[in-house]
Amino acid sequence: MQEENEHEPQLVSVTRIKCSEKTLRPTIPCILHFTEVTSVTGLEFLSQPGQEKTIRACYSLAWIIERCLPLKPDTGMEADVHNNSVPLENGNLAPVDRLRRDRSDSPTPGLVEGTEPGAGQDSAMFVHAQSFEDLTADGEQEQEEEVQVPEGGDRSERGPEVEKPRTEGEENEKMQGQPGEEEQEQEEVQSGGGRAKEEDVNSEAWRRHRKHVFVLSEAGKPIYSRYGTEEALSSTMGVMMALVSFVEAGKNVIRSIHAEGYKVVFLRKSPLVLVGVSRTRQSERELTRELLYIYYQIISLLTLTQLNHVFQIKQNYDLRRLLAGSEHLTDNLLRLLDCDPGLFLSAVTCVPLPSSLRDVVSSSLQAAKAKNLVFSILLAGSRLVTLVRKKDQYLHHMDLHLLYNLVGSSSSFREGEGWTPICLPKFNTAGFFHAHISYLEPASDLCLILISTDREDFFTLSDCKRRFLERLRRRSTYQALQEALLAPSYPVSQVGIPELRHFVYKSKSSGLYTSPEIPIPYQSEEEQERLMGLYQYLHSRMHHPTRPLRFIYHCAERENLLSWVTSGFELYLCFSPLGTKALAISAINKLLKWIRKEEDRLFILSPQTY
Amino acid sequence: MSIFLNLGIHQHIIRRNCEFHELWKLYNIEPLFSTGRNMSSQRVDAKVVLLGKEYVGKTSLVERYVHKRFHGGPYQNTIGAAFVAKPIQVGDKVLTLGIWDTAGAERYEAMSRIYYRGACAAIVCYDLTDSSSFVRLKFWVKELQNCEQQCKIYLCGTKSDLIEADRSIRQVDYHDAQDYAEEVKAEIFETSSKTGRNVDELFQKVAEDFHNSTAFQVMTEEREMDQRQRKSCCHH
Ligand SMILES: Nc1nc2c(ncn2[C@@H]2O[C@H](COP(=O)(O)OP(=O)(O)OP(=O)(O)O)[C@@H](O)[C@H]2O)c(=O)[nH]1
Ligand SMILES: [Mg+2]
Repeated sequence: MQEENEHEPQLVSVTRIKCSEKTLRPTIPCILHFTEVTSVTGLEFLSQPGQEKTIRACYSLAWIIERCLPLKPDTGMEADVHNNSVPLENGNLAPVDRLRRDRSDSPTPGLVEGTEPGAGQDSAMFVHAQSFEDLTADGEQEQEEEVQVPEGGDRSERGPEVEKPRTEGEENEKMQGQPGEEEQEQEEVQSGGGRAKEEDVNSEAWRRHRKHVFVLSEAGKPIYSRYGTEEALSSTMGVMMALVSFVEAGKNVIRSIHAEGYKVVFLRKSPLVLVGVSRTRQSERELTRELLYIYYQIISLLTLTQLNHVFQIKQNYDLRRLLAGSEHLTDNLLRLLDCDPGLFLSAVTCVPLPSSLRDVVSSSLQAAKAKNLVFSILLAGSRLVTLVRKKDQYLHHMDLHLLYNLVGSSSSFREGEGWTPICLPKFNTAGFFHAHISYLEPASDLCLILISTDREDFFTLSDCKRRFLERLRRRSTYQALQEALLAPSYPVSQVGIPELRHFVYKSKSSGLYTSPEIPIPYQSEEEQERLMGLYQYLHSRMHHPTRPLRFIYHCAERENLLSWVTSGFELYLCFSPLGTKALAISAINKLLKWIRKEEDRLFILSPQTY
Repeated sequence: MSIFLNLGIHQHIIRRNCEFHELWKLYNIEPLFSTGRNMSSQRVDAKVVLLGKEYVGKTSLVERYVHKRFHGGPYQNTIGAAFVAKPIQVGDKVLTLGIWDTAGAERYEAMSRIYYRGACAAIVCYDLTDSSSFVRLKFWVKELQNCEQQCKIYLCGTKSDLIEADRSIRQVDYHDAQDYAEEVKAEIFETSSKTGRNVDELFQKVAEDFHNSTAFQVMTEEREMDQRQRKSCCHH
């Protein structure tokens, strides 16, 4: 830490030297996050100007920032930096004491995992997953320890981690990092519309997108860009790769670059490199997790084995050939990441159904089994109706998210019955399953996914579907199911708390969450994303790797939010800005009681296996 | 974590999937599979597969034939393959065609074998306005000639409405395609899924050829035998 402190100013000054060179104008103080504290070689190289490597690395860095971040050359950056600096005392103390107090004051004793509302009766349907487990439990033993650059002094602002609101439990906590928001809304309008592939990558509009995602191969070849064509970005991606390999040559791994409210996050997943450039409030971990989703999306189409294989044969293979036509899957996944709470909660939601009805559907699906069938999943849009699995086989929620992204982003399954190889990367990155995908009726929302290990199983599964439908019809369940789907969710008013606008409740042991309809003030796409952004912000604060929190009451300008994590559940509430903290706390109790009362309908309490 | 609870099953899965991977590597080498008995169905009389480069219009062709409609909307590439069964009248008989609309994207190439194996007809499509799609067509024809000798080949030049609107955009010469068809003993059609031109004719021809083929005769005989046997069982 000390060492880094010493190096820090040099980094800033070197960047400045770099920028004094003709081609690159802006002076951008930035902080490089390296995985290993001891090996600060990444910083050392910067202290030896003159070396060719050094120049190149500085050049790359400034170049990326210049390319990707919409900085205005005349911004008085250093001045901003001073304004944003945070008093030390406030930052370093984890509010442990206050936390305890909040918990003992809280109206409901913390429910133990497995007894919370929504907990399944038998075993869970999903692989039990901790939030963020994907970043840490991924075999590669990545160190998730964040290198904290000492705070205070004239350092640039580094996103939420060092922001002031470390005053959980305090009323009227004001959120920092808001200033960009108004600006953002304007830009959303500009950047609206479908896949703007032909967008000019040198234009201001391109730079102003809130979140860029780039995927490249280790040879620096472009594979995917969220905005603009990959061809137009090939030099940018080349430079990104140069930077990654430069840092790696020093036995180090680049994680992120923080500058002026922007984050450049790198995810190294050989043979791919994923880069996210964001100016949202999301933490580095959140962004890394999103990149991980994109990575798994690619794996789900190709398998890791095949991916490794093509790059072994030809290092500078153009992977776009094998991924042709899949861009819209990735585009859609990025949209889901912005508006579906299931993806950051590591959970799935289900259609509210009377439990008697759901049980008939589940048992009909269970009865329609076949030798190699591993999972039978009935979806209504992105909501689960039911899921039946082979005994001892668990589906990971990420794999389910990828499945419904696949189904939801393509009309291809509307015609006839689909049969496609698919890799479920959290299950096994080495091989394909084979999915029979079809809608129960051409115009229906109900989509049945049957997953087998055998690629010759098409007609066997087609027959399973027929048997399932027959059973449903015989018990007149089909009609009842269709009718229930006319109201695929419930209004928050059912809970009977007038100030409550919206909530998300996740039962940890079942991996399921429930949430009412998006209420009127949040129905526009931008507002919905903003609400999800707030939840996600609270989520990342509560699951902070080194300073986790259990309870947050947060007053923003347009709403008040409360979040609470216990060993059994996670709860996020959104109140009108007129509500008080006392009111919010009393609402928790009422809401939990309501969920308990309705749990039969809101969750899948008795999951089936075959 | 609990994902790998049951190692037995997983090994089974891994092995199976490696097989696909191997196939992908060596896909020119004929794997020693049995006949297409698994990927066929009682419901279907004749298996018909559509092959061809992505974007040539395979899905649109099936859509036109089966549903009599054309989506002018944005292009949606097929994922994996889609199956649809369609009854068709030939003479006084009604046959059911089992139509496999495969994805043209390269990543599914290794899977294509399971779709054309046991097929009695393959409709190999090319886009009249894209010469590279005809190059790709030749690849599929070779593949079929090597692996599936019984399968009758139909070449199908798509999007003929575009040519009619503007002759200059034709990239595959009519006579060249005709010559090639003769050389590989294939039928050839130029169709438009937008206007419907020649689409029904193509599938009608496929069905009639199948009806007149020995495969069909053998099949009907087998079925009759089956039925007779079953009847005699019941009597006992
Ligand atoms: N004008 C015209 N356009 C067509 C015709 N057939 C297909 N198209 C268009 O060509 C594009 C591709 O058609 P698809 O049927 O989806 O192509 P495909 O061969 O199924 O593609 P993959 O599923 O990726 O292999 C679509 O935009 C169609 O609208 C046609 O006969 N005339
Ligand atoms: Mg298609």
